[in-house]
This record gives sequence, structure tokens and C-alpha cells, in this order.
Amino acid sequence: MAARGIRTPAPAPAGAAQAPAPSRPARPAPSLRRFLARPEIEGSVTFVAFVLLFAGYGIWLGSSFLNIDDRLLDVHQNVPILLLGLAVMVTLVAGAFDLSVASMATLTTFLSIGLASKDGWPFGLVLVVCLAVGVAGGLINGFLVERLGVNTFIATLGTSGLFVGASKVYSSGTQLSPLPGHELPTWFTDVGSFSQKPPAAVMWVAVALAAVAAFAALERLKPAGRDARSWTVARVGIVAVVLLVLTVAANLPKIVDRCSYLVAVTIIVGAGMWILMRFTTYGRYLRAAGANRGAARLAGVHVQREVMKAFVLGGVLAALAGVLLGASQGSAAPDVAAGFLLPAFAAAFLSTVVFSTGQFTVWGTIIGGIFVVWTSQGLIIGGVAPQWTDVVNGVVLVAAVALSALMKRQKA
Amino acid sequence: MTQSIAPAPPLNIRGLTKTFGSTTVLHGVDLHIGPGEFVGLMGPNGAGKSTLIKILDGVHTASGGTIRVGDETVSSLGGRSDVGFIHQDLGLVESMSVLDNLRLGERPLRTFGPLLDHRAERAAALAALERVGLTWAVDELVAALAPGEQALVAIARAFGRGARILFVDEATSTLPVADAARVIAALRENAAQGATIVMVTHKLHEILDATHRVVVLLDGRLAADQVTAGMDRAALVDLLLQHEAAKVERVPRGADTTAGRDGAAPVLEISGAFAGRAGPVDLVLRRGEVLGLTGLPGSGLHDIAFLAHGSLRPARGTVRRGDGVRVAIVPPHRETQGGFDHLSVHENITLSSLGNWTTKLRLLALGREKRDSAEMVERLNVQPPGIDTPFGVLSGGNKQKVIFGRALLQRPAVYVLCEPTRGVDVGTRSEIYRLIEELRDTDAAVLVVTSDSEDLFAVCDAVAVVEDGRLSESRPIEHMQPADLEVMV
Repeated sequence: MAARGIRTPAPAPAGAAQAPAPSRPARPAPSLRRFLARPEIEGSVTFVAFVLLFAGYGIWLGSSFLNIDDRLLDVHQNVPILLLGLAVMVTLVAGAFDLSVASMATLTTFLSIGLASKDGWPFGLVLVVCLAVGVAGGLINGFLVERLGVNTFIATLGTSGLFVGASKVYSSGTQLSPLPGHELPTWFTDVGSFSQKPPAAVMWVAVALAAVAAFAALERLKPAGRDARSWTVARVGIVAVVLLVLTVAANLPKIVDRCSYLVAVTIIVGAGMWILMRFTTYGRYLRAAGANRGAARLAGVHVQREVMKAFVLGGVLAALAGVLLGASQGSAAPDVAAGFLLPAFAAAFLSTVVFSTGQFTVWGTIIGGIFVVWTSQGLIIGGVAPQWTDVVNGVVLVAAVALSALMKRQKA
Repeated sequence: MTQSIAPAPPLNIRGLTKTFGSTTVLHGVDLHIGPGEFVGLMGPNGAGKSTLIKILDGVHTASGGTIRVGDETVSSLGGRSDVGFIHQDLGLVESMSVLDNLRLGERPLRTFGPLLDHRAERAAALAALERVGLTWAVDELVAALAPGEQALVAIARAFGRGARILFVDEATSTLPVADAARVIAALRENAAQGATIVMVTHKLHEILDATHRVVVLLDGRLAADQVTAGMDRAALVDLLLQHEAAKVERVPRGADTTAGRDGAAPVLEISGAFAGRAGPVDLVLRRGEVLGLTGLPGSGLHDIAFLAHGSLRPARGTVRRGDGVRVAIVPPHRETQGGFDHLSVHENITLSSLGNWTTKLRLLALGREKRDSAEMVERLNVQPPGIDTPFGVLSGGNKQKVIFGRALLQRPAVYVLCEPTRGVDVGTRSEIYRLIEELRDTDAAVLVVTSDSEDLFAVCDAVAVVEDGRLSESRPIEHMQPADLEVMV
């Protein structure tokens, strides 16, 4: 072996080890590509794809698709699915899952109709009981999974049977409808009706809060070179332009005017969940537990307790979904929510690609759930038979997630 | 080991460059490796070692430069039968036998139709295992082998496939000392038979004991390429630290550092405790004291750490903490127990002390939280410095710093630091030592649980040794020689 001397490295100025090599000429900034590679932009690709799809529908179908009342009716009718999507999302964030949410919703649909009409309980009490049933169901799930260590699939599949079975026992297996003389309170059926609207002020407050939140969220997108003050001005401008475009192109005042109670409830629940997930220690602990259970435990997170709380929260949201389903249907049919389980999971999984790169999010679940509905509704309006809905839902979910997986692979 | 290996073709790397976006991680690296050479590749975390290996393996494509094997110009060495790569993750199926592992991915040897020729498979496996002296293990399950033996199986598999050039990427960094020595011995023996070996490692003695040449990468540049014969430890450290302002300092410890401590009330007292593989454990920790625990992996060393932290409850005996004493831990396996790859650096660093940033409404004050995270990230010199970066993309040493930051933000009275310098570069190592000194000065109690004797001599006041779960009396570090611990560990 030939002896080799030290090869001296390229002469570098003293202290250059830490500095990012100032001598190298900056490459012509591929700023557009770098901009597109930002996670916020990458995470919006699916959203943009959906918007383009709906624009295509608009060109194809004209005002039969671009009809605010009809599209809000779609959302209104799917509110139970959206809430079940949130119920599913909470446990998914925690690294678990819950197959019993749809059965819980069926159970509370029966309870809300039955207790109020058949048993004649005061309606406030009925609501409390329904939500308490949701808490109890979540506690059972959490106890089975976290304390007894039962496989999550088996535990929640079992309790799913338990909840739906309880509804059948309670109703003797038949449909429950309010009897004459035991009608549901009108305010309850009003909440479930699409023709009754909440005060517009409530919705305008929501719009204002969304604008403020968007303004705050834009802070993170600040380009490196910009100083804080000019970016603040730019943020105000961006939010104002978006509001203006929404007003002109989408007739925002009309949307706000036509929102039903159920839509309003969904927005309020969504806002609450968003705050919980983003701005409380609980949300952070839950994400940590879901991301790496062992590390979370060593970092001081009470993993079992937090995941149990997630099951309870999921149970309460499912119970609420059932009550609202009762409100909009006015009666309870056997297995009324059974078909909602897979769409709810689909909405939760879509949230990992709508506005996000791989994380479950609250608004992604709600928006993803709505987009799936609109995608199939557009085809139905265009003449496709309604029995194709499930096929379309399946294709949309797989296509959206595949698109984002493909983009990730391209980047790597 | 009688088989000699057909001489490997020389490997010629010229001007190898790699850029990711706007950052250049390799600046025109030139490297010539002759047949039968055993070359050590060193450099701090992020210097470009892994990138270099990944380009050679075909995971990344070089942005410029050429790679030649013999007279052939290639874009990578991946997929060539005469080149093998051993990574830290050995790629073995633990629930299968050594024989089955050696056959995985090989062209099946058949007797007739689809039937496998077991006799020929076995003969081929034995021939490969003989190169590493492991023929007895041919029918063992991989899971039943010692960690070092598993590495040897991976090496045998590479040679069995016809490798004449072998790249070993930190395969020894998590091995117990004795296991690592076996792996190194097998590599050296194969080099003597004509195989070319390139080994990435942070361990200085492996370089000095086994290799012919050491190549040092610093900031993506070839900083040194030197024969190791006649080189001593100090010279090697100088090579590695030539750009670093700070060198590893041995902190002078007078008798006064421990004087007076005995009077202080203990913050942590473990007596007669059994938990997991550890026990009986008796231990007293006082403020301003840095106590080192060491022992073989599998001795129950880390169980004692979890016992002190409180994440493991004693089956027998007691663990007493002083009133209001908080304990923070840096876990031993940072990849699996330390952090959350998909969460950001700031979410990782603040997780254990979120209570510091809650408002009266029990909401998180995100602005304040992020500001404090950024401050900690700057103090620990985490690279890259952005706090919204996902934790998973950081290099090993920087992950370790973030996990340290999480412990620091808790302001605990007791720090339990497991393997604080495992797999970190020399610069980060000295930063971590400096940090532990600071903790002592702020009157915290520190338990350093490590299988690296350098940690013990650099920062510990006293050392206790774990053997088969049993913890020895602690002895002041002044009374110990490195040789004492090398024997024990």
C-alpha cells in the first residue's frame, strides 16, 4: 500500500465551518419550485384539484350544480357523517380507531326520538341522557382498549354490536316515530330542518372569526426576506381579496343567509374541536401519543388517560350526530346510521391530504367529507344513476390519497 | 478461514458532488480505494458520510463527478454483486433462521421443478458463514443471536453474494464492546484475504485498531486522507477537530467537587429495588452531583434509568424522590423512544413542559411557546435552526439535542441521561459534556447511564457498575483508570 500524506482540504477562511459557505455564488433562485415545495402549498394540491373538478362541473352542468341552496342541502343532509368523521378523527389522531361510532349514533337516534315521544321525558333531559350514553360508550371502549388491552378492532367491533343491539332491544326492533300527543318539540325538529335558518349574525361572526384565524395562520407563510410589518399589510390584503372573491364569485352573503342550523352546529363543533386540537395541551398530548406512544410516555404524557379521553370525546360526538340525525329525520329506523361508518372514515382519511401532509385535521375532515358528497352529487345531476354513489366515494378517497402519495414520492 | 477472495477491482471516485435544492452537501470528493484496503470513514454528523454512502448505494444520484470500478464508469454501485452494503439496520428477518436469511433474495437452488435443493443451499450458507466464523449458527434463529453475531450474518450474506468490496455504515455503533470487537476482527480478517472494506464509524479505537487508512469528511469536503499506522488517538482527534473551535475537554476535577455534597439531602434515593432486569439497586443522588452508571447492554442498565425516572415501577424495594423533585429523562434509544418524527421540532421540544405556556383559559400561548422553543434551539445550536422543521428530518446528533432541550425546559431537579453521546459526532459530544457541566453548576443532580466509558471520564464525579442487574457501590472517578472500565464493560 502506497503511503499517502495528508491531503489538505480546500483552503477555507477561519470559522467557515459553521457559516453557510458565503463564497458560493447563489444559484438562480428556483423560487417558484421552492414555493411549490412548501408543505402548505403541497398540502393544498388535493384541495385545488377538487376546486378544479367543481369548476368543471359548473361548466358542464351550469346552474343545476352551481346552486347554493342545493349544495348547502347536500351539506345539511350529511352533517351526521361529518360529525361521525370528527368522532373517528379524534381516535385516529391518538393512534387508535373506533368502529362503534355509527352504532352509537344509531342508538342515540332511537333514544332521542323514543325517550321524548314514547316515554314523554322532558327534552332537555333527553339530550343530557343521550350525551351521557355517548360518554359511557366511549368509556367502555377506552377501558377495553387501554386498561384491558383488548385489540382495538375487536373491542370496538364488539361494542358496535352492543350499541346497535341496545337500540333494537329498546325499540323492539321496529321503527320509532312520535305518536300523536307525544310530538317532538318544534324547536328540535326546526334544528333538523333545512328550511329553518339560524340568525345570520351567528354565521357572520363565524365568517369574521375565520378571517381572523386565516390572518393569523398566514403568519407562518411569511417569505424569508420580508419584514414583519409589510407582511402584516400583505396578510390583511390577502384575506380581504379572498373575502371579496368569495363575495363576488360565490355570493358569500347568500351562503351565510341560507345555512341551516345543522350546518351552523357543524361549524361550531368544528371550531371547538380545532381549538382543542391546536391550542390546548390535550391536543398536543394526543398527537404525541398517536405519533410515538413509547416516546410520549417517557416524555411524561399519560398516554392511557389521554387515549381514553379520545374515545370518550369520539363517543360524545357520535351521540351528538345521532341526536341531530333524529332531529332531521323526525323518526328512527333500524340501523339508521349503519351506512355512515365508511363515509366517516373516508372523510377522516381525506383530511390527511386536504390542507395537510399526512396529519389528521378537523377542517380537513369536514371539507373532505363535503367534497366527496359534492363529487358524487355532481355526477348524479349530470345523469349518473344514484346507485353509483358508493363507487364514486371509493374512487375519490383512493384517488385523493394516491395523488398525495405520488407527490410525496416524486419529491423524495 | 482459508478462502481467499479474488482481488477486488480498485474503486475510483472523482469530484463527487451532491446538492439538495440550494444546499451542497458534497463538494467534489476524490477518493481512491485499492484492492484489499480497509478504509475508515469519519466525520461529524451532517458532514456528508451518509450522503456519500447513499450515492454509492444508488439511493441518491450524484449531481456531479464520476465513480469508476476498475475500468468501468458507473452511476452507482448498488445492485452489483461484487459490492455489498451493511447498514445500521441489518435487513435481517429475525424470525427466520440464519440459513433462510442467507438465501433470501438469492437465485433459488433447485433439485427438480420448484423443489429446493436444501443440501446445496446449506453448503453455500456454510461457505459464507465460514468467512465470519459463524458456521455453528447456520440453523439458529437470527433473533436468538447476539447483536454482534447478527451483524456477522449480514456480512456473511454480502460475501455469500460475491461481494469483494464491502461498505459498512455504522453497523457497530450500537453494539456492545465485545460484539463490536468480533465484527471488527472479522472485517479485518476478510480484508487480509483480499476484500476491500470501507467502514463508517464514530469510534476512534476501531479506526486505530483495524483500518489501514482513515478518510475524514468535514462539511462535505474531504478534509483528510491519512494512513493510520503509527497514528495515535490524539492525532486522530486533531484530524476530526481541525475545524472545530472547541476540543473535547477533560474537566479537571479536584477533591472539592464532591466535598460537602454528602451533607446535602438526597433528591433521589433507591433502596433494595428490583424492576425489569435490574435489582437489587441501591443508589443515592444529591444535588450538584453527576453519577455515572455503566454496564453491558442487557445487564439491566437502562431499567435502572427508567426506575430513577419513574417510568418503571419497582416490583420490590422503594424509590424515593425529594419533595417536589421533578425527574426528566433522555431515553437510550432516541429513534424509537425519543422523538416524534412527524411533529415539528418545537412540538417535540416543549411537549414535557406545556404547562409553562398555558393561559388562564387553559389555552396554549403558541407565540410564547414558539419563542421559548426558538431560544432553546439556538442555545443548543440545533441544525437546521427552524423550529417548524419536522423532527424526523434532523440528523442523529441534532435529534439528541432536541431531546436534551425537552429535558432542559422541564427544569427538573434530576436529569437521567441515557447514552447521551451515542452516535453523535465529536463536536456535539463536547457540547453535551459542557451542558452536563452547566447542569451540575446549577445544582441539578445528573445520572449519566451509558455504555461509553468516555462519558464517564469526561463528566462524572463517581461511577457505579451494573452486572446482571446488580448495582455496585459507586467509586469516585479519580480512582478509576480507563482500563478498569474497559474490563468491566
